[in-house]
Amino acid sequence: MRIPISLAFLLGTIGPVLCAPFDYHSVRGREAKGPVDGILEGELLPKHGTARTQGMRNFGEGWRGDAHLLWDGEPGQEMITEFRIEEAGIYEMSAQMTLAPDYGIFSVILDGKVLRRGIDLFNPKVSVAPVIQLGKLPLTRGEHKLAFKLTGANPNASTFQKSRYLLGLDFLKVINLAPPEQPVAETTKPKEVTAPKLTVTLEEVQPILATYCYGCHGEKGKVKGKTNLKELASPQDFLSRIELVGKAAEATTFQEMPPADAKQPTEEERRKLATLFNGYLEQHLQDSGRLKPVVMRRLNRYEYNNAAKDLLELKGDLYPLPEKVIRSRGYFNPASGRFPDTIQVSNRALGKNQIEQHILTGVSPFAIDLQAEHGFNNQGDQLSVSPILLESFLKLGRSIVNAREFDGYSALTDSLFRAPDEKDHTLWPPIIEERLRPFLERAFRSAINDATLKRYVSFVMREVSRHGNYSQAMKSVTAAVLASPRFLYLTETKKDASAEEPLTSYELATRLSFFLWSTLPDEELIASARNGDLSQPDVYAAHVKRMLESPKSKALAENFARQWLRLDQLITAVPDFDRFQIYYSRIGCEQWKFGLQTMAEPLLLFESIMVEDRSIMLLVDSNYSYRSDEMASWYKDAIPFRNKGNRNRFNTGSQRFSRRSLESRREGGVITSAAALTMTSEPLRTSPIRRGAWVATVILNKPPPPPPDVIPEIEQDDAAIEAKGQTLRQRLVAHQENESCVSCHQKIDPLGFALENYDAIGRWRDTYRSGLPIDASGTLYGKAQFQDVIGLKDVLLGNPEWFIRGFSEHLLAYALGREIDISDKPALDKIVRKAMAKKGQFSTIVSEIATSYPFMHKTNQLAPSSGKTPKKP
Amino acid sequence: MILKRPSLSRRAVLRGAGATLALPLLEIMETRSLAKGTSTARPPVRAGFFYIPNGVVQRAWHPVDEGENFTLSPSLQPLAPVREHISLFTKLDRVKVAGTDGHAQAGACWLSSAAPDQLSPAGYPLKKTIDQIMAEEAGKHTAFRSLELSCNPYEDNRESVYFDNISWYGHGHVARSLRDPQAVFNRLFAVKEHQEHGSVLDLVMDDAKSLDRGLGAIDRGKLEEYMESIRTVERQIERVTKRQSEIDELRIAPPSKPWQAMTRDEFIQVMGDLMILAFRTDLTRVCSIMSSPERWGSPLTVQGLFDKPVDHHGMTHGQGHDHVRTKLEALDHFHVQQFSTLVAKMAEVKEGEGTLLDNSMFLLGSGISDGSLHVYTDLPTIVAGHGGGVIAANRHIKSAQGTPIANLWLSMAQIMGVKVSRIGDCTGALRMS
Repeated sequence: MRIPISLAFLLGTIGPVLCAPFDYHSVRGREAKGPVDGILEGELLPKHGTARTQGMRNFGEGWRGDAHLLWDGEPGQEMITEFRIEEAGIYEMSAQMTLAPDYGIFSVILDGKVLRRGIDLFNPKVSVAPVIQLGKLPLTRGEHKLAFKLTGANPNASTFQKSRYLLGLDFLKVINLAPPEQPVAETTKPKEVTAPKLTVTLEEVQPILATYCYGCHGEKGKVKGKTNLKELASPQDFLSRIELVGKAAEATTFQEMPPADAKQPTEEERRKLATLFNGYLEQHLQDSGRLKPVVMRRLNRYEYNNAAKDLLELKGDLYPLPEKVIRSRGYFNPASGRFPDTIQVSNRALGKNQIEQHILTGVSPFAIDLQAEHGFNNQGDQLSVSPILLESFLKLGRSIVNAREFDGYSALTDSLFRAPDEKDHTLWPPIIEERLRPFLERAFRSAINDATLKRYVSFVMREVSRHGNYSQAMKSVTAAVLASPRFLYLTETKKDASAEEPLTSYELATRLSFFLWSTLPDEELIASARNGDLSQPDVYAAHVKRMLESPKSKALAENFARQWLRLDQLITAVPDFDRFQIYYSRIGCEQWKFGLQTMAEPLLLFESIMVEDRSIMLLVDSNYSYRSDEMASWYKDAIPFRNKGNRNRFNTGSQRFSRRSLESRREGGVITSAAALTMTSEPLRTSPIRRGAWVATVILNKPPPPPPDVIPEIEQDDAAIEAKGQTLRQRLVAHQENESCVSCHQKIDPLGFALENYDAIGRWRDTYRSGLPIDASGTLYGKAQFQDVIGLKDVLLGNPEWFIRGFSEHLLAYALGREIDISDKPALDKIVRKAMAKKGQFSTIVSEIATSYPFMHKTNQLAPSSGKTPKKP
Repeated sequence: MILKRPSLSRRAVLRGAGATLALPLLEIMETRSLAKGTSTARPPVRAGFFYIPNGVVQRAWHPVDEGENFTLSPSLQPLAPVREHISLFTKLDRVKVAGTDGHAQAGACWLSSAAPDQLSPAGYPLKKTIDQIMAEEAGKHTAFRSLELSCNPYEDNRESVYFDNISWYGHGHVARSLRDPQAVFNRLFAVKEHQEHGSVLDLVMDDAKSLDRGLGAIDRGKLEEYMESIRTVERQIERVTKRQSEIDELRIAPPSKPWQAMTRDEFIQVMGDLMILAFRTDLTRVCSIMSSPERWGSPLTVQGLFDKPVDHHGMTHGQGHDHVRTKLEALDHFHVQQFSTLVAKMAEVKEGEGTLLDNSMFLLGSGISDGSLHVYTDLPTIVAGHGGGVIAANRHIKSAQGTPIANLWLSMAQIMGVKVSRIGDCTGALRMS
C-alpha cells in the first residue's frame, strides 16, 4: 500500500517561507577547457563559396554529429573558414577528413602559413581518414583563417562535375597544450539546515487540536476525509497510526488545514502541531523504520539494448528505440565540462517508422514497459514475465546472434566466436571454459561458480557435436545467456531474516551501473567488485565520478529525464488542426507536428546541466535554452515561420539547435517549455488542472490524489466558455462547489492558473482570444503569493528546497527501482541538505544518492511485522 | 507524426480488403474438419471477452423492456442481424474499492476473481482473472492456454499497466496483451519459431533454479513467473509440434498490412479474426480483446465516424452536452457494430452439427457503466453464443438490484467445465437459460 505522504513536506523547517533565492546560475562543477574539448565540427564552421553541410548517416557511423563540411572547387581554389581562439597559447592541431573517389589533394594553410602539403583524400570507398596531424603552433587570441587549397588529384580519382574535386572536413581538433590553471570553484560554507528542536508534549498540543481540528476530524461523528484525529490519544496511538500522523504533519506544515475559511491557528500553535507530528514520525523511523524492499526486477527494453550491446561489444543498437529522443552522436561528453553551443539534432520519436542505419536486421524489441502511476518503468513490482514475453526473449537472443551483420558488428567475433586453432574437439572444453568465464561474469554480474561454468561448457559441447560448428554453438549459448534469468533480472541475494544489510560488491556495482548508465557494469567496475575494492569509500566515489563523466551517463537523460518529465505524452498531443494550424506542417503527403522540435528543448537543457554540472534549479528557471531557429521563431514571432502556409511550414529533418540567452523570464526552465505546456493541454483549450497536476507531480513530487468520481463538465472549447463572458479560470472556480473539491484544487490549481498566459500550444498570450484578461495570480500553500508566472518561478526559487527535494525523490526512486516511502526520509534529508549546500549541483545529488543508505543496502522481504532492528543511515 | 488523412469511405476500405485476414480464409475453414483428435467428442466450449473502455451512454444503452425478444435500444441496433444469439445482462455490479484510480480499477479488476475486501499489495482488488481461471482448465487441452489481445493504437505510454490489460495471472503478474496482429499470427501459426525456442530451455531453467536458493519471498514469486513461463513454453512447443501438419495444411496468410496503417475497424476486426482462427483451430479456447485501453486521454482518430481525433475519456465527462453525447453514442454504436460483425463471423463458421458461435460465449463489456460518474453498477454486459447449447439467447435478463457480476463469471466458468462454486464476491450462479 502506498503511503500517501509526500516527503517533500515533512521537514519540520520547510514551510512556505520566502527567502532570497540563491545564485544557482553560476554553479558549474566542470569548467570547460579551451574550445569544446578542442573539437570544432566541420559542418558548424563558417562556410563560404561552395561549402555546405552534408549528412553522413548513410555512409556509416564514423562521422561526429553524423555530418561533415563538403566543398568543391577547381585546382588552385581554396576552401576558406575561420575559427576563434579565446586564449593565446601553444595549440596542437589535427583534422579529421573524409575520403571518397572524387576527392582531391590539398594543402592546409593557417593564417597564410602552410602547415601540410599533399593530403590526398582519394579512396575508392567513402570513409573517414585517419586523423591528420597539423602540428603544434602558437596561436594568438582572436580569429584565425584556415584554408584548404586544392592542389591536384590522385590519378585514380574521378572528377566531380567535369573538372572539379571535393573536400570533406568532419572536424578540427585544436587543443591548448598548457591551459592555465582554473581557480577551484569557491564554495561558501553552507548554513546547516537544522530543525529547531522544540519539544512539545501531547498535553500541550491537545487543546490546539481541540480548538482547530476535532470539529471536523473526530467530534460528533464527523470524520472528514476519513481522518479522525481523536484516534491519536496516546503516544502509542501515534506510533501505530503512522500514516495518519504523516497526513496530519503534511497538512499542518503546509497550511492545507484548517481550510482557508476556518479559524486559523497562530504561527506558534502551528509550529507546535508540526513539531509534534514530525517528532512522532522521526521516532517511528528510529524504532521500526524498515526500508521498503526492492523487488527483483527485469530489464526494460532500453536497458536490455544497452546491456546486450555492451556485453557483445556491438557497434550500435540492437533495434530502434523511440526512448532515444535526441538523435545525434558525439556531442555528449561530460569530461569536457562543456556542452556544445550548437548541436545538430533530429528527433524521430514522433515519427511512426524510425529509420535507423545501424541496427541488426531481423531483431525486434519486446514491448515497451509502461511507467508506474507516479514512477518509472523500472519498478520490479510492475515488471512481469509472461509466456509471451519469455518467447520474445528467446527469439530476441537468437535473432541478435544470427543477424546477418552480427560478425562485423561484434568486437567479440575473434575472441569468443572464432573456433580454437586446436583441431581436436575433445581438447576444447578448457578453452571454452576460459572464454566463457569472464563472459558469464560480465553477463550475470556475479562470480561464476564451477557448476554453472560446467553446465554452460557442456551445452556448447553438445551443440558442437550436433552441428559440428563451433561458432554456431557459441552463438547458441550466447542466445541462451541473453534469455537467462541471471541476465534478465537484477537480483540481490537475501541471506537471513535480519532487516537490512549492505549489498555485496557485485550487487552494488550492478545497482550503480544500471542507475547511471542503464547497463551492465564495465570491466573496471566489475574488477573493483571482484577484488573487493568497491567497499572502500574513496574507490567507490572515484567510480561514481568516472561514470558520471562518461558519455554513457547520457542514459540519465534518455531514460530518467524523459520519463520524469513524462515527455512522451507530447507524442499523442493533438492541438486542434484548424485553430492551431502553425503546429502542423504538411511535407509530401505526411502531416507533421511541431512537437517534434519542442520535445528536444527540455532534454537538451537537462543534458547541458549534466555535462557542465550545473544546478538543477535551472530546470525551474534558466537564462539560456537550446533552440533551433524555427523554435526561436515559435517563441518570439506573432506569426512564426514567416507566415508560411501548411505546406513545408517547418522542417522535420535534422535541425541546428543553438544555445541562446533568454531575454524574458517568461521563458526558461521546463515548466514554461512549449513541450510541457502543449502536452498538458486539450485540443481546443488549456487545462490548468492538468498543468497544475503536472507541476505538482514533476517539480514538487506531490502528485494529487486521483480525481473523484463525479467530475463537473467543462466545455472542451474555450471559445464556448468565453462566449458567455467567462474565462476558463472563472468557469473552473465556479464549478468547485463544495469543500472537498476546493481543498484539493487549492493545491493544484494555482500552479496551473499561473500558466494561463501560455496557450494550448505553449505560446505566450497577453489576453484570451476574446480579449478577456488573464488572471495568473495565486497563492501557494496558503502563504506564498504571486502575480504571474515569473512570480511563481520566484516562489519556487525562493524555496529551493521544494524542488531539490522533489527532484531527489524522483531520482532516488529511479535509482532504486521502487517507490519512495517514509523509511527513506532520513536518507533524503541528508541528500537534500548536501544538495542545498551545493546550490543544487547535479553531481552532488547523484553522488549523494549513490552513497545513500537505501542505495547501498537491501532489505529482506519477510512480513513487515517481524523483527525490529534500528538502523543508522 | 503522420496524421491519418481524412478517412477513406467504408466501401473503399472493404475494396482494399488487404488488412483483415481475408474472409475467404474463414470460408475455407468451414469446409475443413476440426482437429482430428477431437472429432469424436463434442466441440469444446470457448470463451471470448471483448472489452470497451470508459463505459457507455446509459440512456441509449438500456432497452425499454425485458425478457425474450426485447426491443433493441439505439446503441444495440447493430446486434439486430445476430439477435437470436444475444443475451443482454443488466443490473450486474462490481464493488468499487476506494484508494486506487477509478479507471485503472475498472479495467484491471473487471474480470478479477478477488472480492472487494481482498486487496493486492498495490491496493487493487485483483487476483487471478476469470479468463485465466478458465484457461487453467481449458488450457490443459490446447497448445496455448489463452490469448490476450489489445487494439491499443497509442504510441505514447501515458498510462500504467493497469489501463492496458484486463487479464492477470495473479496480482502483480499481468498477462500482458499483444498489440501487433503480425506477432499474434506468428505466435499461433509459426510452428518452426516455437520449436527453435526449445534448445535452451533446460539451461536457463537450471539458472533459475540456482538463483532461487538465495532469494527473498517476493523475489521468489517474481522468479516463479519466469519458471512458470518456461514450463508453459515447453508445453506449447510440444503441443504446437503435434498440430504442425494440420496447421500447415490450412495455409493461412498473415495480415497484409501493419497495424499502424489500419483503420480502427480494420484493427479490431483483424484481432477478432485471429481470435476466431485460434478458436476454430482449437489452438486456444480462451481469449480476451481490449478494443481500446482504459482512459488514455490522448485523442484518437476513428475513421469514418468523426472528422477529427476524439478523446473518448474526455467526452464521457462532457456528455451533459448534447453534441458531446451524440458523438459518444456514435462511438458506443461503433464498438457494438465491431462486436456484432465478429459474432456474425463466428456464426458462419460450421462446427460439427452447429457453428462456432453455438459452442462459444463471446462477451462484450466494460468495467464502468456511466463514464461521467465512474459508476461500477449496472455494467454493460452482452453475451453472444450458446455455450455449447446451454445458453438460451435473444433475451434481456435484468438481475435483482445488487447482483455481483461475479455471479456471471461463476456461471461462465462452470459452463467452461471449471469445477468451482465460488468466485470473488459472488452470491451464486446466474441462470443462463
